[in-house]
Amino acid sequence: MSAPENMAPGNPASGNHAPGNPAPEGAAPAGKPPEKKPPAPSAVGEVLTASGISVGGKYIGWSVCDTVRKEGGSGGLVTAVLAGALEKGLVKHVVVLKKSSQYEAVPVLTSDVDDVYASAGSMHMLISNPTKYLRQFQNDAAIALAVKPCDMRGIREQQKRNMIDGDKIFTIGLNCGGTMMPYKIRKVTEEVYGVNPADVRAEEIEKGKLILETTDGEHHSQSIDELEEEDNGRRENCRYCAVKIAMNSDLACGNWGVMPDYAGKGTFVEVMTEKGAEFLRNAIEGGYAEVKEASEAATEARGKVNGIMLKMSAKTKEEIFVPMQSKTLIDFKKELENCIGCGACRTVCPPCACGNEAKCTAFDDPADSYDISLFHMVRFLHLMDSCVGCGQCSDVCPVDIPLARLYRKFANPIQDELNYVTGMDDRTPPFFEIKLEEVQ
Amino acid sequence: MSDVIPKSAVTGCDSSGGFNPKIVMFCCNWCSYAGADGAGVSRFQQPANVRVVRVMCSSRVDPVHIYTAFLEGADAVLMTGCHIGDCHYVNGNDKTLVKYKFVKTMLNEMGLEDGRLTLRWISASEGQQFAEFVTEMVEQVKALGPSPLRKEGVV
Ligand SMILES: Cc1cc2nc3c(=O)[nH]c(=O)nc-3n(C[C@H](O)[C@H](O)[C@H](O)COP(=O)(O)OP(=O)(O)OC[C@H]3O[C@@H](n4cnc5c(N)ncnc54)[C@H](O)[C@@H]3O)c2cc1C
Ligand code: SF4
Ligand code: SF4
Ligand code: SF4
Ligand code: FES
Repeated sequence: MSAPENMAPGNPASGNHAPGNPAPEGAAPAGKPPEKKPPAPSAVGEVLTASGISVGGKYIGWSVCDTVRKEGGSGGLVTAVLAGALEKGLVKHVVVLKKSSQYEAVPVLTSDVDDVYASAGSMHMLISNPTKYLRQFQNDAAIALAVKPCDMRGIREQQKRNMIDGDKIFTIGLNCGGTMMPYKIRKVTEEVYGVNPADVRAEEIEKGKLILETTDGEHHSQSIDELEEEDNGRRENCRYCAVKIAMNSDLACGNWGVMPDYAGKGTFVEVMTEKGAEFLRNAIEGGYAEVKEASEAATEARGKVNGIMLKMSAKTKEEIFVPMQSKTLIDFKKELENCIGCGACRTVCPPCACGNEAKCTAFDDPADSYDISLFHMVRFLHLMDSCVGCGQCSDVCPVDIPLARLYRKFANPIQDELNYVTGMDDRTPPFFEIKLEEVQ
Repeated sequence: MSDVIPKSAVTGCDSSGGFNPKIVMFCCNWCSYAGADGAGVSRFQQPANVRVVRVMCSSRVDPVHIYTAFLEGADAVLMTGCHIGDCHYVNGNDKTLVKYKFVKTMLNEMGLEDGRLTLRWISASEGQQFAEFVTEMVEQVKALGPSPLRKEGVV
């Protein structure tokens, strides 16, 4: 193994993406060689060969290319696996992010490995969910992509409805502590950070702080908790999101569990499926990536941070939805009264499987002038068992209706009661899960 | 009974000015509708607030029908069908149960009172039960008053 490159001077080693929660003790100071230090090591043993990879295995991995390792969010493993899959022909296309700034990017389908390398790194202000984008290519050749947990949950729900062919999709899940609204962060960049957004060269979340790096090499940091007090941090739905590790993807990657020795230079990866093992082996055999067995301490630390995050989510969920219990129908009418019927909330909704012909639109006639349109009534019902809580609907609504909160209000009781976590496995959606009653 | 309710035939108040609820009731062709017939033939008394919509099976009732009924001004919706195990399409009413659970949960979460949507199985021979059920529901909805989903001005 080649000595890991140090991050750019002053660039803090990526420790922990979780805002406001403890990072493993004693992060490695930037500039020091990442040799084994007394706090538990991330990995044990030697670099593994492809035959050492198995389903259920947990590893610490990184890209063998120093540039990718440096540019990557946490060691560039994801980029290495994607590049390997593309160049060795396991997939025909990869969906990557094409950045237009630190604040904006669009998903694009590419077969050019340079695009894959160019998209290395985590974008915390990229909120778009690729499910609907991906659906256009459902019958095309095999596609690989990196996904947040809610992205994968949307893809799974489409799979259940036969709209995406699971055999042709390979996914690398990224742990996700939450994403932020680009326009809000642009605003706070100017107003709170006192920085011109055009000068921002990189962003990073570390130990509960959002750090912006400007072209002059300066680091500007603000506490995410404080940003969230003004609703400028993570989107509301992320603050109560119930899935932080994408256990539903083929490979679940993230930096939780990565100890100081590999901080910023390695990613914790858990192999979730046989396909995941195949792709990781391919990256190792092809000389794209190296992995070691993750230490027990690393696995434990990952579980612990995840546990803390889920607890915080559960708390936020209560804070938001318990007071909503006392909402009346009049309140609902009021929330929805500005709707202009543009349909954007439906278009972006990842689990929504209907095309142009859909029940929510077919029976909706503005001439009816109901207090709550049939469009919303039907969508509230349809999303009860399928809403993945991605927040896209709120994001796109031109009149700023807090839609995700409304959809979750209806989805929470059914999903909680039926113990159904949408998009996490192949379980039939409860609305279609007919149980024949016992007849006496 | 007619499947279509002419709006002109519908008024919100009775002659004495009290609240006179409008209730839409879905009956399946094979059981509860026959139950309604039975109630009529046997001359069981029941209030006239219910507008029956006959469907082939209780599972034909889509949430859209229920919502439309409410948005068009119904004060309550009753879903009825064959007892579990008796559905003439084998398991239609099992599906009805699932839909009912979802619609009910949603309307409750929205703030619509519990008593405005009820599901009851009524067989072809249960004319008396049919009349009793209708009487009971009309009393219940009278106590609740007009539905908050009814658009203002709709009578
Ligand atoms: C929004 C976000 C939040 C995260 N939060 C956590 C966290 O709290 N805890 C944790 O352990 N790990 C978190 N991660 C994962 C972590 O930052 C690394 O992405 C992961 O460890 C893989 O590192 P890498 O160097 O191998 O990835 P890279 O080689 O850098 O590859 C990353 C890939 O992800 C894609 N990508 C980047 N941003 C997004 C996005 N917003 N949506 C979809 N795809 C994207 C890139 O196009 C690239 O293909 C988060 C990632 C993202 C994107
Ligand atoms: S909803 Fe969950 S998975 Fe999706 S961006 Fe927010 S925190 Fe991440
Ligand atoms: S209803 Fe909104 S939050 Fe739920 S899955 Fe659809 S877009 Fe996402
Ligand atoms: S995005 Fe907003 S305005 Fe458009 S249909 Fe949905 S709720 Fe209405
Ligand atoms: S036929 Fe009566 S419920 Fe199905």
